[in-house]
Amino acid sequence: MKETESLTEKTSELNDLRIGVYVCHCGKNIGGTVRCEEVAQFATALPGVVLAKDSLYTCSEPGQEQIKNDIREQGLNRVVVASCTPRLHEPTFRAACRSAGLNPYLLEMANIREHCSWVHLHDKDAATEKAKELVAMAVGRVARLMPQFEVTVPVARKSMVIGGGVAGIQAALDMADAGYKVYLVEKAGSIGGRMAQIDKTFPTMDCSICILAPKMSEVGRHPNIELLTLSEVQELSGHIGNFQVKVFKRARYVTAECTGCGECITACPQLIPDEFEAGLSIRRAIHIPFAQAVPSKYHIDMHHCLNNQGIVACDRCFQACQKKCINFADRDEIVDLEVGTIVVATGVDVYDPTPLTELGYGKFPNVITTLEFERLINAGGPSGGELIRPSDRKRPRKVAFLQCIGSRSKRASPYCSNVCCMNTIKDALLIREHWPETEIYVFYIDIRAFGKGFEDLFQRARREGVNFIRGVPGEIIEDINTGDLRLLGENTLLGSHYRYTMDMVVLSVGIQPRKDSGALQRMLNLATDTDGFYMEAHPKLRPVDTTSGGVFLAGAAEGPKDIKDSVTQASAAASRANILMSKGEVTIPAITARIDRDKCSACGLCARVCPYHAIEGGKELGYFRVIEAACQGCGACVPECRFGAIDQTHFTDEQIVSQIDRVLANKPHEKILCFACNWCSYAGADFAGVSRMQYPPNVRIIRTMCSGRVSPTWIERAFVGGIGAVLVSGCHPSDCHYNNANRETARRVDRFWKRMERAGINKDRLRLAWVSAAEGAQFAKVITEMHEALTRTPKDRIHKEADKLREFLSKKSSSQ
Amino acid sequence: MTSLRIWKHFPREDLYECYQCARCTGSCPAMEVAPAIGPRETILKCLNLGHHHVVEDERLWLCCTCNVCEDRCPQKIPISDLLVALRNSAARRGNIPARLVLAIELLAKTGRSMIVHQLDEMRAHHGLAPLPPAPIEEIRELLNKTGFKEVIEF
Repeated sequence: MKETESLTEKTSELNDLRIGVYVCHCGKNIGGTVRCEEVAQFATALPGVVLAKDSLYTCSEPGQEQIKNDIREQGLNRVVVASCTPRLHEPTFRAACRSAGLNPYLLEMANIREHCSWVHLHDKDAATEKAKELVAMAVGRVARLMPQFEVTVPVARKSMVIGGGVAGIQAALDMADAGYKVYLVEKAGSIGGRMAQIDKTFPTMDCSICILAPKMSEVGRHPNIELLTLSEVQELSGHIGNFQVKVFKRARYVTAECTGCGECITACPQLIPDEFEAGLSIRRAIHIPFAQAVPSKYHIDMHHCLNNQGIVACDRCFQACQKKCINFADRDEIVDLEVGTIVVATGVDVYDPTPLTELGYGKFPNVITTLEFERLINAGGPSGGELIRPSDRKRPRKVAFLQCIGSRSKRASPYCSNVCCMNTIKDALLIREHWPETEIYVFYIDIRAFGKGFEDLFQRARREGVNFIRGVPGEIIEDINTGDLRLLGENTLLGSHYRYTMDMVVLSVGIQPRKDSGALQRMLNLATDTDGFYMEAHPKLRPVDTTSGGVFLAGAAEGPKDIKDSVTQASAAASRANILMSKGEVTIPAITARIDRDKCSACGLCARVCPYHAIEGGKELGYFRVIEAACQGCGACVPECRFGAIDQTHFTDEQIVSQIDRVLANKPHEKILCFACNWCSYAGADFAGVSRMQYPPNVRIIRTMCSGRVSPTWIERAFVGGIGAVLVSGCHPSDCHYNNANRETARRVDRFWKRMERAGINKDRLRLAWVSAAEGAQFAKVITEMHEALTRTPKDRIHKEADKLREFLSKKSSSQ
Repeated sequence: MTSLRIWKHFPREDLYECYQCARCTGSCPAMEVAPAIGPRETILKCLNLGHHHVVEDERLWLCCTCNVCEDRCPQKIPISDLLVALRNSAARRGNIPARLVLAIELLAKTGRSMIVHQLDEMRAHHGLAPLPPAPIEEIRELLNKTGFKEVIEF
């Protein structure tokens, strides 16, 4: 409320415009091409401008001091800086304004370096004229800017970690040690994840559970960690700093008094394949996942218990339990959590090679997967660590490993699974160590030993006599009598066919996104990459953030990773979450959408296009409203409203239309109007400037945060006003910084093309181009192509088409 | 040049997906019994040496087009299409085994690619009616239209 009051107060006081314009020479960078004095001279005549100056380096200390002094002494209430891209120095000049007592949102920049002087190096007249118009556009816009006040929202100092594998454990411990409350939600009966199943780790050959178990117990006894096992996130709402979570906690049927004595197991009559042992042995309905489980308590798998119909048909475990910890009346429950940050560490599934029938997995008992092999040679595994083969439980003398099973394949997963090569080398060395007389063959395509200490391990395996054969077998044939396996294939390095007879074959299977990863993806509004893994906000510079604020990624859920990388990423995710929680609040840039309740008809179209579910409301309420903390400021909702009820702060229709109108004011038929999104296309145009890629000077670029903000009414206005051509450009599909809000761009442009066709005007004059921040050359190429097409279009035809569109639109509006 | 036309019938870019895992050659039944080139080597030669190295090689005809290589290819490269395209080019350059020419001549003359009088006896033995006469005219027309005349005189 306070903000709105101060806002209206400021507005009235700002009616008397006093704009200061500063044209920067940037040494010779701008001054060498654009006649800056002339531009400043031109600016003085613009409406509202009280002073215009040119300076050598406006971003320097004296340059900034000059702006501050003028704000104080000349009473400036708006500032335009014509210099480099706002992506570079907008924060600098905003800070200068703020320190002189001017609201930082009352600054506007005209990009006369990247978008002008650097790309029109050889045409000083055209560059100067363009610079003048860019300044005039900025002056028109700045006159309509409003002071804005950034909202801060509190961040609850509590976090939820989803998934209790090594990544989840590390993230939970890091946040808990920093003093924040952590809820660790794990689907299974114990934390530990995949790492608990593995025998040894590469490249150091540490015993996996030996290094993991201490961390698991630390989680179990940490005062700041609340462990929720047999639990899954069911519902999630809220936004950064304030998430409400409903966790579905399955009943344990064993009370907390359980001492883990194990008397109940022998009593239970139900036998089920043991998931932890990869199905190689059996467990009972009442069980503990593995010896080192945390919590070290038994639970009943009610799905397989004889009492699963709700009546007690069997109470043998109850009878066997001396402490009477069995409680058949236990019920599933919903746990409500309120957290400020979330770390997603849900891990991966392993590839099931059954569809590759030529390898015979599932048909030939001696063909096993790497995960089964890990359990087989684990001292705690079903064979007590003895290397035996499943068919006759004899020790295999010849073992083959087949690489890239389910990885690098269009028939399974197209990506490299990252861990299988080193895992195989580790397994081969383990066999070598314990049973040195075993012959080992590794059939590979490429050995990828890229990490620290990996190549050493590979060379060690070769020295120890592991045979590496380049060429994966095409087929495995089983000898029915002996269970031995014949491998047919080609040694590509020798160029000869081979037939090997092996006692056992281990398929080095790849890893895949969790089958149920979609549910969490929808709840948390995450993006996924083409392979189905959760996508990071930026692959290089924000590798653990997601596009949803306050949600971070850890471990293999983001992409195939080994233990070390998972732990590294988990610590990174925890530290990112800790930053939010230690600050206790987060500032939202004042560029969010706002809905005018009086105009809102509660149709809900805006809520449907919002990529962040940041618009709530309904017919019952009578209107919709924007949740400011959840709104990321893409503006994709604004063009969707047919009633003009939504506008985006700092990127209002009025502000952008003023820029368009300025472009239309002078020889519009010669110009190309370009709408560019802040993150990709505007940056792409900047990159063209930095790289000095020359393109025609008749383009005028208007910046929006996302191409989804581009309203068809703007395009309409431009064409009716006689513009030569319009370019709408944004990030590549699926590369959008606003969770694919650019799908709306494509849809709206497509619809506009159809409208142009119906109105009988050349639809090639409107172009949609995806230009990434790295594609400066592409931007220059698009503009050059559009310019060439424009030079072939006669002026009177543009005017005729403008009239046609105007007529078409007026007919349409009168018929409505 | 006929040799250049291959890539009109088969997208060359598909070959770049091959990473030489040799599952194809490992599955090849022809490789089991004869010194065939093998799909992996065929692709590699097409990529590195140019496809004329394969087209001029008579071992190209040892493939029995069982398509198992294609079935098992992890990159889904249409290997059998490639082999058909290569053989087409080979035949047009005169690289075609005499026994195949014979079979086609027989097909054109009798409507069947093999001599079947013994087959009729076998069918009679099992109580089956003799084979109906082959539609020779139709087959000849098909052979003409599909361009066999350009390759083989019949």
